[in-house]
Amino acid sequence: MTLWDLKQGTSATVSAFKASIEAGYRTRLSELGFHPGELIACVMAPSLGAPKLYRVNNTVYSLDDSIASMIEVA
Amino acid sequence: MESDRTKVALIGSPNSGKSLLFNRLTGLNQKVANFPGITVDISSGKSLTDASTDYLDFPGVYSLQAISGEEKLAVDAFRRALETGQLSAVVCVVDSTRLEKGLIFALQVIETCRRHSTPIVIAANMVDVLDQHGMQIDTLGLSAALNVPVLAISAKTGMGLEHLAPCTATTSAPTEPFSIASDIIASDDSLTHRQAQQLASTYGPKGDLLINAQTRLDTFFLHSWFGGISFFIIMYLLFQSIFTWAAPVMDAVETLIQLVAGVVLPLVPAGMASDFTADALFGGIGAFLVFVPQIFVLTLVVGMLEDSGYLARAAVICHKPLRLFGLTGKSFIPMLSSVACAIPGIYAARTVDSPRKRWLTYLAIPLMPCSARLPVYSLLIAAFIPAQKTLGGLVGWQGLAMFGIYVFGIVCALLVTAAVSRSSVEMRSDLPFVLEMPPYRLPSWRPLLRNAWNRSKHFVTKAGQIIFIVTVVIWMLGYFPNQGASLGDSWLGTMGQWIEPVFAPFGLDWKYGVAILTSFLAREVFVGTLGTLFGIEGAEENFVSLSQQIQDSGLPIGSGVALLVFFAIALQCVSTLAVLARETGSWRLPTQLFISYSIFAYAAAFVAFHLVEFFV
Repeated sequence: MTLWDLKQGTSATVSAFKASIEAGYRTRLSELGFHPGELIACVMAPSLGAPKLYRVNNTVYSLDDSIASMIEVA
Repeated sequence: MESDRTKVALIGSPNSGKSLLFNRLTGLNQKVANFPGITVDISSGKSLTDASTDYLDFPGVYSLQAISGEEKLAVDAFRRALETGQLSAVVCVVDSTRLEKGLIFALQVIETCRRHSTPIVIAANMVDVLDQHGMQIDTLGLSAALNVPVLAISAKTGMGLEHLAPCTATTSAPTEPFSIASDIIASDDSLTHRQAQQLASTYGPKGDLLINAQTRLDTFFLHSWFGGISFFIIMYLLFQSIFTWAAPVMDAVETLIQLVAGVVLPLVPAGMASDFTADALFGGIGAFLVFVPQIFVLTLVVGMLEDSGYLARAAVICHKPLRLFGLTGKSFIPMLSSVACAIPGIYAARTVDSPRKRWLTYLAIPLMPCSARLPVYSLLIAAFIPAQKTLGGLVGWQGLAMFGIYVFGIVCALLVTAAVSRSSVEMRSDLPFVLEMPPYRLPSWRPLLRNAWNRSKHFVTKAGQIIFIVTVVIWMLGYFPNQGASLGDSWLGTMGQWIEPVFAPFGLDWKYGVAILTSFLAREVFVGTLGTLFGIEGAEENFVSLSQQIQDSGLPIGSGVALLVFFAIALQCVSTLAVLARETGSWRLPTQLFISYSIFAYAAAFVAFHLVEFFV
């Protein structure tokens, strides 16, 4: 399952990044808190495919499908 | 001497409150906004408490390992400042409510400062928020662990700021690498992450800090129905405010100019001096001053939206629709800013981290209906559209026309980016959409008012200078060699007759041709030039509104619409071209845009003229 599949109001732990993700972006996501082992909550999943809101620690980020589907969660 | 001054750098992540701290320390009017990445240039300001110290505010970055062009500029500038030994100390600002994230960055900065033997202080900002939640941060423990001073501060309330300057003055550079760190910079991000996590859980606030109100507001503002409706209401109010709130002030400015003209003109000796005062000063410059209130209101309202945190939500809402046109949700803020002025829009486009999307945003910006077009639109609409209302007095035709021409500009912008993004061979790298959602907050009025005031002042002084020079030159060319006896026989008249064939297909005479030519310096010059030309021709003793004079000249409505369309598309702004050249590093894009938008504008105006003349 990827982060993009996470339903609103549920949480999951980051397990890995997809191999195809660019190295620079993997580093940045890690720095922002999207790091293997980290618990991520999907706080808001607007309809019509708009970017979803994910909470990491005390910060909320908005990620679109192209990047959220690169993060595998379990 | 400049080199003797103590320079202290402020560095931190976007939204860490760094710019607010900078304002506190220097009292400078730097803009602080609640949108990630609003600081785009390095600002410098003298310390309020120590005249020999300068604070440098570096742009907010998430990491010293830059992944976008904008970040790379900021990180390189910071590294260069360290390498050349310019900095006496570095203050790394972290948000203590999000300590883990802040520490990942702080650990990188500490290591970099150690390598360059530069003292560093960690400013744990926003402790007022911790206080509100009955939480705290163990600065002593964190300081001992990091071997670097850590100060608890609040840039918002001023708490703890008195310790900052003495601390930066006395602390020495870190000598030993951070204990658990072997080599932080060496891209071992998982190690840095673990260290930050460990430090934050040991010394940071314990508990849940994200205010539930933020989630509740997001649930509303990003709701499929309420979110969309509130987005349109907010945008509608934005445009309404530009016209309805500014209208009384604009009327007041116009009345004031008339009053001053009424007092001054009889005092000026008749002849050339009197003609100059009436035509060039009151006719030309007066016509442009009337629009300053609108620029003030627009800057204020856009600033308010930024400050409240709403613009980041608007970016989320717009992401999917804008993607259809090859853009991203992050393009929304630069495009909205461009409604005020293309120049802040171009600067704001730095927050678009994907180079390809940023390039496409640059294509859209000059087509957005900027406030310099507003005087031209207002003038032409007042001259051609009757001030009548329809639908039981609810909708005015003039307001509708203004709305229409604004929508036309935006649609043109989107169509251009859609077409170019599908056919372009420009292979620029793309980055996905990741945007931090700032907390909602009530806008702080003082910085917003100050910013709106500065923008208006800048408009009057900078644009005013160009307009003054152009007005004087135009007046002289139109007044001589026959002392204003016949405008058609003046130097300007002769020049106008050469270019008349270019604009004749739109039914425009040479006066409009000259006004269009001068408006390539800046669009609003059109109004001033036309005001001066009609002033010389009419030899009016009284200040008569320019729209009235255009009406009286019997210009066909098709020509009016053609002018509106031309101004909506043409890139008539020297400043925009210059800033674009600076931002993109070459004159290639500005030149391409200037030529293609001029041709596009001319062709569209031609079509518009014939369509209107055919149907009306």
